[in-house]
Amino acid sequence: MPQQPQPPKPDPTLTFTAKAGLPGSGQPLEVHPAVGDIKPWDLDDLARFVHMGKPRPRREGPLKVTGRARYTYDVKLPGMLYGRMIGASVPAAEILSIDTSAAEALPGVKAVWTTESRVVRFAGQDVAAVAAVSPDVARDAARLVKVHYKERPFTHELRDAMRPDAPRVFDMDRFPTGRDMGRSGNVAGPRPTRANRGDVDKGFAEAELTHEGSYYCPVHTHAPLETHGVVAHWEGDQLTIYASTQAIFAVREGVAEALGVDRKNVKVICEHMGGGFGSKLGPSATGSAFSVVACRLAKLAGAPVKLFLDRHQEHLCTGNAPSALMKVKLGAKKDGTLTAVHYQSWGSAGVAGGAGTAGPANALHGKNPNYKADEWDVFTNAGPAAPLRAPGHSQGAFGIESAMDELADKLGIDPVELRKKNEASPVRMAQYDVGAKAIGWERRNKQAGDMSTGAWGSAAGPAQGSLRRGLGMANGNWYVFAAESSNAQVRVNRDGSVEVITGCQDIGTGYRTAMAIVAAEELGIDPGDVTLRLGDTTFPEGPGSGGSVTTNSVAPAVRLAASQAREQLHALAAGLLGASAADLTAANGRISVKGDGAKSVSFKQAAAKMSGESIDCLVKRAKQYETFRGDLAGTQFAEVEVDVETGVVRVVKMVSVNDCGLPVNPLTTQSQVLGAMIQGASWALFENRLLDRNVGTMVNPNLEWYKILAPADMFEAESILTPVANAGNNTSTAGIGEPPIVPTLAAVANAVFNAIGARIRELPITPDRVLQALSEARRA
Amino acid sequence: MARRPPPPDEGREQPSFSRRSFLKSAGVSAAATTVVGVAERAPAAPAVLGPDAVTLTLKVNGAPRTVTVEPRVTLLDALRNHLDLTGAKPVCERGGCGACTVLVDGAPIVSCLMLAADAEGHEITTVEGLGSPEKMSALQAAFVEKDALQCGFCTPGFVVAGTALLAQNPHPSRAEIKAGLAGNLCRCGTYGRIFEAVEAASRASAGKRS
Repeated sequence: MPQQPQPPKPDPTLTFTAKAGLPGSGQPLEVHPAVGDIKPWDLDDLARFVHMGKPRPRREGPLKVTGRARYTYDVKLPGMLYGRMIGASVPAAEILSIDTSAAEALPGVKAVWTTESRVVRFAGQDVAAVAAVSPDVARDAARLVKVHYKERPFTHELRDAMRPDAPRVFDMDRFPTGRDMGRSGNVAGPRPTRANRGDVDKGFAEAELTHEGSYYCPVHTHAPLETHGVVAHWEGDQLTIYASTQAIFAVREGVAEALGVDRKNVKVICEHMGGGFGSKLGPSATGSAFSVVACRLAKLAGAPVKLFLDRHQEHLCTGNAPSALMKVKLGAKKDGTLTAVHYQSWGSAGVAGGAGTAGPANALHGKNPNYKADEWDVFTNAGPAAPLRAPGHSQGAFGIESAMDELADKLGIDPVELRKKNEASPVRMAQYDVGAKAIGWERRNKQAGDMSTGAWGSAAGPAQGSLRRGLGMANGNWYVFAAESSNAQVRVNRDGSVEVITGCQDIGTGYRTAMAIVAAEELGIDPGDVTLRLGDTTFPEGPGSGGSVTTNSVAPAVRLAASQAREQLHALAAGLLGASAADLTAANGRISVKGDGAKSVSFKQAAAKMSGESIDCLVKRAKQYETFRGDLAGTQFAEVEVDVETGVVRVVKMVSVNDCGLPVNPLTTQSQVLGAMIQGASWALFENRLLDRNVGTMVNPNLEWYKILAPADMFEAESILTPVANAGNNTSTAGIGEPPIVPTLAAVANAVFNAIGARIRELPITPDRVLQALSEARRA
Repeated sequence: MARRPPPPDEGREQPSFSRRSFLKSAGVSAAATTVVGVAERAPAAPAVLGPDAVTLTLKVNGAPRTVTVEPRVTLLDALRNHLDLTGAKPVCERGGCGACTVLVDGAPIVSCLMLAADAEGHEITTVEGLGSPEKMSALQAAFVEKDALQCGFCTPGFVVAGTALLAQNPHPSRAEIKAGLAGNLCRCGTYGRIFEAVEAASRASAGKRS
């Protein structure tokens, strides 16, 4: 193995000029990469690319569709035991005793663990665990564990917890929030922010029209189909953990620290992963230490232990998206020019902090001069939240973009025109018309709920019975995050075979395929001839797959490593061709002299000349450098159909327009965009984690009553990518997993308003809320 | 759409206790309040399996396979934990998501709700039996081609349900596809491309016949 490289420092003297921006309106941009980095791919490369940007089926597809892909849940080791966690059955209590004697006496039980904590703050919190010879015996044993609680009063929901007399989740000196946030009752805040600008009081005084509204999002759970779990296997002091995780290195770090063992003795493997959406970024989960418990059980039993949570447990302790109560005040001139935005948010991440939602309000409508945000965290006796696909941003966009829609209605301005009036992003400015055209925006009801003109009237005929159609739109924002500790190794073997080796896991985004494409483009070979080695902490470190960082963190390292390997191969080929290495070019598996294609050798012939068995190039990702634009822009359009007699809402069509830099593989990129719209529509219409106000436990801890969008609810979904060159790294790539779910909730809600002329300000948009809103609108 | 398994006493003689015959004889109210005393209240108590492990012969993907499991072990657990066929996935374990769908005598069944003992004497086909990475079925190949998968954990269930749908209705409309797959859930949001894959496989089979 080559040595771990030091991260290169930016070199002020190294300058490239890239043609950056949107195709058709590119502009030269000077960038200053780190020492040794290469010129970023830019707009001029689009026409030259052989593999980049071309749709390509994911390479693990055949394994997954035939049931051969081995997920963590599928791992089976000789002598393996089955573990089971036991969670608290009450939401707030003192644990007086835990009696495991009956469980220990049950034949087939091999190890038992109990918590040292005596305070229960949410139902589902870790209390005990068992390991036994079969899942059924483990379940029997779990039932035999007797926990004696002294129950305490609890608060189950955000608005309940904000009451001054609500039971306290924490003593005030134990708040899990920063010292810089104020505290009162169950409320911490406001959170310090750097987004404030101008003077909102002055801005509202200048306004010719104001709008104030309150909006509410409930808690959603991640509900990945593969629940959280690990297989823990000790061989002496060597520990191997097979983990269903988005971050194998975080599992290694967290478990090693909890167990007090050296990281070098811990190996974490994740070959395929059945969904995480942000809940699998830590060593275990935000509300459970099951990974550490599984390792302890395996040590006690002297046998490997597979420990997976069941669906009920998954809903309780593995994270969720915070609920949010948002109050938005907008001030504008009659022409739609914003003069002030005041955004307030109270969010509940259960027993955790970090329930902010101001991201979209901070970033959108950048031309507005006066902005203020206040955010509070509210504690409830519920499992701690975890990042969920653009954490806080879908909720926040529902608040701010619903309010913008209401403002447009009051002003009598087209919602798209109102956005354009206040838009600071050149990318989003270009996206509006693309999306409007794709959805047929001209069909929208000019007067919300008015069926005499617009969508239903002109395009699809007059209103049919009780069905009403409407169109809505909303914006979202996201960021170009990069994990600069990402490494990649490219190995060319003497037989010409190529390996890309990087520790990062593939969580189902098409990451494997994307890295093969990047390496192949640089080496001038076919992506199918590149073998990916990944998902193993013995490989060079890769990032945790959160924040939409994976592709744009690792791809630049892969490209640079491949470039270095290609240079070495060209030196070998130069000897064979009697040419200078600088005059060579690589394509289609051959290395040829520029301008004289007849003079060439194959990639394999060049590789055969190497001394030793392989060329290995290991690089650490360079720092993110100058970029054409700041945040990632996106906008979304929705068409819905509402039955005004039953209140049932059906999404008919959605269009998402997104910037993800230069897409590596549009096929898998667009799969993520389509998936985000579907998950977002599911949040908008169906999902709601319900805690019982009388007993504080979850009412719907399964997949029938915690309803997620199903095939019968499916709509027409269209993804349009607007490529933007130069995302600040040598591949010009950016992330896509999160941005397209930010606008969805608001886009659906705004379309419902356009259909029926009644505003739904609380999600999910269930039939009862539609009927109630209609009835209130009629009374008004 | 994947179905719950038929009551075990329908179709053939069962050695195990039948919930349906008990309900018939004892009445629903008794069943709802207690399960204690089942044996004495049911007339002509049937032969009882267990509680110890029993040896079963299951015909899986065309070959007889022997497993020794407790009678309470589900078909899903028998396949995954005893026969190393891990294509069917445990996701909700109450018949709500379709990820564990297998074919039982050609019909899509959620294997988490069927006891392995009740699967004896039936033809069981898992996703592994429909094709291999080297030789995929037309539907499996269409899933790959259309990128009708992301994390892939729901994919085997959709492939099995889609296979059953196409066997019954080789040229389903979009509405029929939605209905045929209505028992399966995907969290990554791949439904649209799954529908396209079923349609592509349907077209491919039409092309083959003509």
